[in-house]
Formats: sequence, structure tokens, C-alpha cells
Amino acid sequence: MNAVLEVDGLKKFYGNLEALKGISFQVQPGEIFALIGPNGAGKTTALRIVATLLSPSDGKVSFLGFDLKKQPEKFREKISYLPEEAGAYKNLKGIEYLKFMANFYANSDKEVEEFISRAKSIADLGNRLNEKAGTYSKGMVRKLLLARALMTKPDLAILDEPTSGLDVINALEVREIIKRFAEEGISVLLSSHNMLEIEFLSDRVALIDKGRILDAGTPEELKRKYQAKNLEEVFRRALQ
Amino acid sequence: MKKFLNLLVKEIKELITLQLLISLLFTIFLFYFIGQMAKSEIKKAMRTQKIAVLNLDDSPFSRELIGNLRTANFRVEIAKDKDKEKAIEWTKGTDMNLLLVIPEGFGQSLETLDLKEIESYTFLRSFSIVGSKNTAILNAVISAINNYLSNDFLKKKIPDISPEQVKKPIKSKDFVIVKNRMAEGSAEKIAGFVSSQSIFVPVILMMIIIYSSQMVISAIAMEKQNKTLETLLTVPISRTSIVAAKMFASGLVGLISAVIYMLGFRYYMGGFMGDVSAAAASSGMGSVIQKLGLALTANSYVILGVSLFFAILCALALATILGVLAEDYRSAQSLIMPLIFLVMIPYLLSFFSDINTISLPAKILVWAIPFSHPFLTTQNLLLENYQAVIGGILYMIVFFIIMIIIAARIFSTDKVLTMKLKFRRKRLVL
Repeated sequence: MNAVLEVDGLKKFYGNLEALKGISFQVQPGEIFALIGPNGAGKTTALRIVATLLSPSDGKVSFLGFDLKKQPEKFREKISYLPEEAGAYKNLKGIEYLKFMANFYANSDKEVEEFISRAKSIADLGNRLNEKAGTYSKGMVRKLLLARALMTKPDLAILDEPTSGLDVINALEVREIIKRFAEEGISVLLSSHNMLEIEFLSDRVALIDKGRILDAGTPEELKRKYQAKNLEEVFRRALQ
Repeated sequence: MKKFLNLLVKEIKELITLQLLISLLFTIFLFYFIGQMAKSEIKKAMRTQKIAVLNLDDSPFSRELIGNLRTANFRVEIAKDKDKEKAIEWTKGTDMNLLLVIPEGFGQSLETLDLKEIESYTFLRSFSIVGSKNTAILNAVISAINNYLSNDFLKKKIPDISPEQVKKPIKSKDFVIVKNRMAEGSAEKIAGFVSSQSIFVPVILMMIIIYSSQMVISAIAMEKQNKTLETLLTVPISRTSIVAAKMFASGLVGLISAVIYMLGFRYYMGGFMGDVSAAAASSGMGSVIQKLGLALTANSYVILGVSLFFAILCALALATILGVLAEDYRSAQSLIMPLIFLVMIPYLLSFFSDINTISLPAKILVWAIPFSHPFLTTQNLLLENYQAVIGGILYMIVFFIIMIIIAARIFSTDKVLTMKLKFRRKRLVL
């Protein structure tokens, strides 16, 4: 099967600081692929590059055969990105925000309605969608943004710490939504430092630290390889 | 285009908040209220004023002087007590602000021209401009009395020659030349009238530039802080459209806000100045202004509008770049300062100096600031320096294009997320 996303020898420098030191990985269709690692490991940088926000210093990123450096606009048509702890426009109602975002992707009014209808069912915010996003709780904003990210059924959803700052109930709901959409065929590239969450969500995992991928595989493979009970132990042992 | 309009509508919705509307309404109300207050105070100052007079002379001359004061619309209250200190105390206890003391022997002194001094005591009960008006009116009355008395004296002493001929042996007639047009009039009065006509231009410009720039800087800073900018930069729309939508929306809202502010400001200034055209008519200045070609024509207003428009665009392009430098909403408030300085320099110069007479290096510096040109446009249009006007507009167009290219380039690269002026400890998100 052809990979949706191929990252090969990706490097990123911020001045003299080498944030990514030549990482490589692939994401298959319908797969949830996770980058896990501590703060400052380079997860967000990798996700921002794939999301076309940052340009790579070296290496190759291709998505559905398109090259990131040459055709970033092709990426933008088929991906959706959820930044860590992002907010929504406070003066727009939830429904207005969804419509605003849907208009960038839809080819007709009918498609806009289709996207919004899907988003409504993902966000599950009921009548609160008719209120301004500035009045929402953190959990509600996160669900609204996740709904925005998934409503277009992108070929690749890039989710940076999707449950960061959420309470247990909201985090569980968000994980369920991601899992459900992956089952429907959406590929997901996500990052988290919550190892238990990753273990629950991911099909494959890459352990990243100080800009390098230490190891990659399914959670079961990694646990077997490092003779660990969970991914936290895997990560600790991979670092040794 | 549909995507751009979608973005533009969002930007406008984000900018027009309830807080903004309340603040605009409040401003209009405030300006209107202060203007009305000022108007009523000036009316109060202009109507019949009560003054106290202590007449220690009581001669026909002093009675004539009091009569003259009454003719000059003063209501005169005569102090009964003939002691100066007591008269001052008495006046202090009333609502009168002026006490005039006519000294003993005043009338007799006029016969010999060995004049005695009339003392005036002004009770300064407030420091408003209107508060000092009484003294000015009184001085005018004393000057008129002086004129009357000196004319009377000269008529008696030299009956064959008109007093005016003795007092002003040299007559003068003032002419003003503008380019190749000439009219009779005082240069000071004409300059004063022309500047009163165009006083609103720098005020409007400064308000629009600062207001719109503040909006665009804050809008970008808020998007960075909320990370909505990150989301927006990953949607399928060109980065130039994102920049343009922000600038267009801020310019539009800034323009509307400035018009509303100016309406309020007009109410406020109206209290002091009254209607400009009415002032021109009453002073007979209108025909002189027309003769000298110093009235702005419809075409002049269009050119002035174009100049203002490009100055706003330059400000918005600069603000966009400054907005990218902001780390968050708070730091954005400090970043508006360089722009305010750039607007304030020509603004203050246009009020207190003549840009054409400053030294060459200073002149180059002022010309390099794009906002200087609309400040100079009115003057250049009136003086028919069309080359300077067109040159200024062309300079602003070039400046805007360069700035918009820089802004679009910044938005197309990592810099939109990584470039920032740090006001706190350095932190890099990996």
C-alpha cells in the first residue's frame, strides 16, 4: 500500500539550533501515526512542517505524491491541522466559525452544508453552536476545533496534542472521535507526550527525543522489543 | 474571490465588536456634550457682562466713560462705598469679575493731557479661555474711549486737520500675492483662514492611521496568541489574500471609526469655532480667498482623498509587518509606538513649522516618512505645487508596494511564526 505521507531525512534549524536532525517516517492510509516524546523533542516542529507552516531546512516531505517544497498549496487542500492549545475566533459564533472554515474547502453551498452537518455531529455542542466561541469552555473549544479539522474528511489530519489541557471526560470524547474517523479512512498524524493516550489511539508510534527518532513500530511491537508493560517504560528504556 | 470575501467578512466581524460600537457612541456623545458646554460658555461670555465701577472722580468725563461702557454692552454697577479696598471686597462678594476704578481728578487731567490711570481688577475665578474674555473686551472699550478722547482733543487743538491724519500720517494698503494672483487683504488673516479651513486634515489623517494600524497590529497579535493564525495559514488560500483581507478590513473599519470620531470632533470644534463658511462670510474673506484661488475645489478634494488613501495603505502595510513582530496582544500595544512617532513628526511639524523652510537633511527625513505627504498636500494644492503632490502620491505607492511585498514574503515564510520582538525571556516551542 502507498503511504499517504512520506518524511525522509527531515532537518530543521532555528538559527544554530538543530531542532530536527534528519527524521524519517511514513503514514499509511487510515493509520493513526503518533510522534511521542518529551517537551522540546521536536514533535511540534515536525507537525508544523508537514502542515506547511514551517519550511524544512533539509530532507523531503511528500504527501500523496506532492512535494512539500514545490506544491505546498496541494498539501493545504487535503490536510487539516489542529495546533496545540489553539483557540477559535471569540467574536464568531461556533456555527459561523465552522461555516467560515468550510467555505475554504467546499466547492458548493451543498458541500458547505454537508461539512457543517458533519461538524455538528462531531462537536456535539447542540445550541451552544449559536453562541460566540468566546463564551465556550476549553473543552468545548477543543471539540469545535476538532470538528473543524475533521468535517472535511481530509486525507491527513495533523493533530498536535489533541487532548492537551482537557479534563478526563472531554479527553476521552476527543480520543473516541479521532479513533472513529480513522476507522472511516482518515489518516492521522498526531503528537502527544501522554503515552497512555498514544497507546490507546495509535496504530504506530515513533519515539522522538532531541530531534531524533529513537525507534518506531506498533505499541505492541515496541513493548515486546523493550520488554515493557507500557509505552512509558518503552520510552524510558529507549532513552538508555 | 469567494474565499477572499469569506476571509474579509470574518475579519470585519472580528473587528466590529460591541465594545467598539459602545466606545464610538460614547465618543460622539462625549464630544457633543463638551462642544455644547463650550458653546453655552462662550454664549455666556458674549452676552451683557456685569462690571463694577468705583467712580472716585464723578466728573462729566467719568460719567461719559461709564456711558460708553453701557453702550459697549456692559451692565455697570456703581460701588457705593468710595474706598477702594471696600469696593474690591464688595465686588468679590458678587458674581462680577471686573472692577474698574476711575481715579479722583480723572476728568480734570484730561484737560491738560496729564492723564491719570484707570485701574482694573479682574477676579480670576476659573482658568478657562472664556474666563479671560472680560479683560479683552474691557481693553477694547478702553481703547475705543482713548480713540474718542484723543480725537476730541485734536479737534479742539488743530481744528483744520482731521484727527486721523495726525494720528496716522502714513496710510497703508495690504495686498497678498499667491502665484500670479493678487488680492487686497491681510496676509495674517488669510493664512489664518486657510489654516482654519484645513485644520481637520491632519487630525483626520492622524486618527485614521493610528486607529487602523492599531486594529491590524492587534488583529495579527490576537491571531498569533490564540493560534488561530496557525490554522488560517494551513487552509487553501494564498498568504497574500490573508494579508490583504486583514488590511482591507482594518482600513474599512478604521475609516468608518475615523468618520464617526470626526463627526464628534466637529461637534466639539463647532462649539469654539462655529461654521467655517459663516466665519468667512462675516469677515468678508470669501471673495479674497476666491480671488487668490485658496479655496479647495472638488478636484482638490479628490486628490487629497487619494493622498490620504495611500497614506492609510502605507500605514496598514507597516502595521502588518509590526503585527508579525508581536508575540502576543500585550506586546502589540507597544509595537504601535514607532508608527505613532512616524505620524506625529509630520503632524506636529505641519502645526508648528513650515516643512519647506527646514534644513535639507531634516527635509529629506520628513519626505521619507510617507505620512508627511498628505499633511503637505493641502498646502501644495492651494499653492499649485502639483509636482510635489503627484511626487508624494507616487512615493507612497512605491512605499506601499515595497511594504506589501515584504509583508507577503514574511507571511509566506517561517518568519510569520518565528519572527518576534521579545519583551520577555526567550522561549522556543519545538
